[in-house]
Amino acid sequence: MFLIFRNENTDDDGYNKKTKTEGKMAQMMDNSVGDDSAIIRIDHLSKVFAGKTKTVIADNDISFEVMRGEIFGLLGSNGAGKSTLIRILTTLLSPTSGQAFVNNYDITKDQEKIRSIIGVCPQNYTSDVELTAYDNLEFYGKLQNVPDSILPDRIMELLKMAGLEDRAYMPVSTFSGGMKRKLEIVRAFIHHPLILFLDEPTIGLDPDARREVWQQIMTLNKEHTTIILTTHYMDEAEKLCGRIAFVDRGKLLALDSMENLRQLIPAGDLIEIGVAHMDPLAEEAIRKIDLVNAVSVVEHMVTISATNGSRVITSILAVFEQYAIPVISISIRSPSLEDIFIYLTGKGIDSGNGTCNEAARRKSP
Amino acid sequence: MMPVVLKSAIAIFKRDIKKFLSNPFIIMMALLSPIMFLIIFGNAMGGTLTHIPVGVVQEVPPYNDTPLFTSAAYQLNHISQGSENNAEKELDVTIYTDEAQAKQDLANGKISAVIVFPSSVSNDNAVRVYVDSSDSTTPPLIQAAVTQVLLELGANHPVIVDKIYGDITYIEFFGVGIIMMAIFTSTSFGGGIALIKDRENGIHEGYLVTPIKRSSIIMGIIASGTVRAFIAGFTIFWIDLLITGIILQSFQNFLLVLLVIFIACVGVTSLVVSFASRFSVQQEYQSVIAFLNLILFFTSGAFYPVIGMPGWLRWITLINPEYYGVDALRSILLRNQGLNVIGIDLVALLIFSMAMIILGVVTYRRTLE
Repeated sequence: MFLIFRNENTDDDGYNKKTKTEGKMAQMMDNSVGDDSAIIRIDHLSKVFAGKTKTVIADNDISFEVMRGEIFGLLGSNGAGKSTLIRILTTLLSPTSGQAFVNNYDITKDQEKIRSIIGVCPQNYTSDVELTAYDNLEFYGKLQNVPDSILPDRIMELLKMAGLEDRAYMPVSTFSGGMKRKLEIVRAFIHHPLILFLDEPTIGLDPDARREVWQQIMTLNKEHTTIILTTHYMDEAEKLCGRIAFVDRGKLLALDSMENLRQLIPAGDLIEIGVAHMDPLAEEAIRKIDLVNAVSVVEHMVTISATNGSRVITSILAVFEQYAIPVISISIRSPSLEDIFIYLTGKGIDSGNGTCNEAARRKSP
Repeated sequence: MMPVVLKSAIAIFKRDIKKFLSNPFIIMMALLSPIMFLIIFGNAMGGTLTHIPVGVVQEVPPYNDTPLFTSAAYQLNHISQGSENNAEKELDVTIYTDEAQAKQDLANGKISAVIVFPSSVSNDNAVRVYVDSSDSTTPPLIQAAVTQVLLELGANHPVIVDKIYGDITYIEFFGVGIIMMAIFTSTSFGGGIALIKDRENGIHEGYLVTPIKRSSIIMGIIASGTVRAFIAGFTIFWIDLLITGIILQSFQNFLLVLLVIFIACVGVTSLVVSFASRFSVQQEYQSVIAFLNLILFFTSGAFYPVIGMPGWLRWITLINPEYYGVDALRSILLRNQGLNVIGIDLVALLIFSMAMIILGVVTYRRTLE
């Protein structure tokens, strides 16, 4: 990880924990910006879409803050209200109730000012596919008032950053999904925005392309940019985000750093040991070890839940040796975001919709 | 085998019907179009020409009116058109004392004909009719009216008709209207649809989050639409000249035509864009545009002189940019008239364009809602 987090703050309204970032990155931000205050403040924000037949509450009384310089993740299943929230913060939609401030500008009053300090990469491809990569960047550069004198250099710099310099003068319609996405991300960054919003930046990309996009996001974050991304991929949030907000059906379920979220699950780490046979006495002995919370044996698999798995493992193995039980396999895993999400919502992140969760599939044992 | 075929056919049928019913706006427009076709086309095309402005004047000297002149002027002013109970005056007669002045007004399009009656001392006792022949419908009507009045008065003066713009065929009359139509169609499928396609494809979402202003978006689109429309209008102008055989009288006229086409392009494009700024679905926009095309084209006077339309329809022509475009182009191409005559059309087009640009900017949706 490139950010080290220390949880310092306490609850303000039950679940909404504010976390103060403190690490190499955070310190660098502190020096450059002068404070580590919240760059985005959302206060009891709600959005209701009133239709003819039914009313949909997309965001329901959401409050949280995003700190300067962090990579903030909004995690939730499709239709959880992530994109609506992003659209409100980027002035594309107005909230039904509540307030939000982006760099101290009110989203309902100072839209012009907000638009000039944000960069947005929407969920859908919004590049003009008939134009070349260069033309697309030039168009956005002009809309963002990048001075003409530096624009050509800036465009080439961005194309290089996205690894697309050899394709500068090719129409975007010839690009692969990953190339288009990378182009859009650098496009959002053309005017060095204070805040970069990325709505599902890696949706529909293959693993290689995703890794490249992640790399790009981390690079951009090093340029003093606060990044807010939405995703429904657990591994993405885990890899990139300093703090993660879980959103489900328009509600904010939890907000914290990965470390702290893990502790929400009482079970701790999961240790799975494969054996040929199991001795009930050994099971009892393991149960007595400090830090072990629960032990269960299903056929040839012993599953132990322990507060600190890596430290306990030696004591557990000693028990197996003592009872002369040959160990076939060992695995220790920390609870993933998926486990936390299931714990918080009582369902899998993709349950109820048809999309398949690549992250979840790769994580499953 | 058969049931499977039927089952799939029914599935497709159901899907199409569901889609059809899901958009009441398009259904409404689909029904409205033929109805409007009936009302507009029926009224704009077959209408009897009434209130044709004509001037009457008596040759001088002497300066006193002959009985023939007085009675003929009165009779001409009271000729009715149509059936007894809703008869409308056919001619609106203005009495001139100066033949030169009357002809001047005819040349400037203020009146459609000048009827010159011989004086008592005239050695040539013919009644001369100078008629604006830039449309093919009015000259025979005026000529018939004059003949009828002379017959009723028992006067046996010969009638000499002078078509001041020569024999203008219907295709020459109609051709200039096609230039306006080309401008409309190219701009509605150019500027307007591009705007909606961008919105439909979500490309808007990309640039609405930049500090771009509504006025910039509207002005940019109108500018590009105008260029496209101008290219179309200019091309059709040449094709029109080739097909109809109209000859440009001077280089100045050519420049005037360019000016009119350009200003008409701004007017029509701003109208189309101000409409497009509200729509988010191509289908809805297209049904409205087809409808608009119909109304504007039929009320532009391209087919038939505007003077033949009922009053309520003529109100539409007043706010129809195509009417001013057609009128100005006809003035230049068929009547060899200059800026003094078409100036009013250009001013009307500019006022119209300004109003539409403001409307477009105000109604443009800056958010996704």
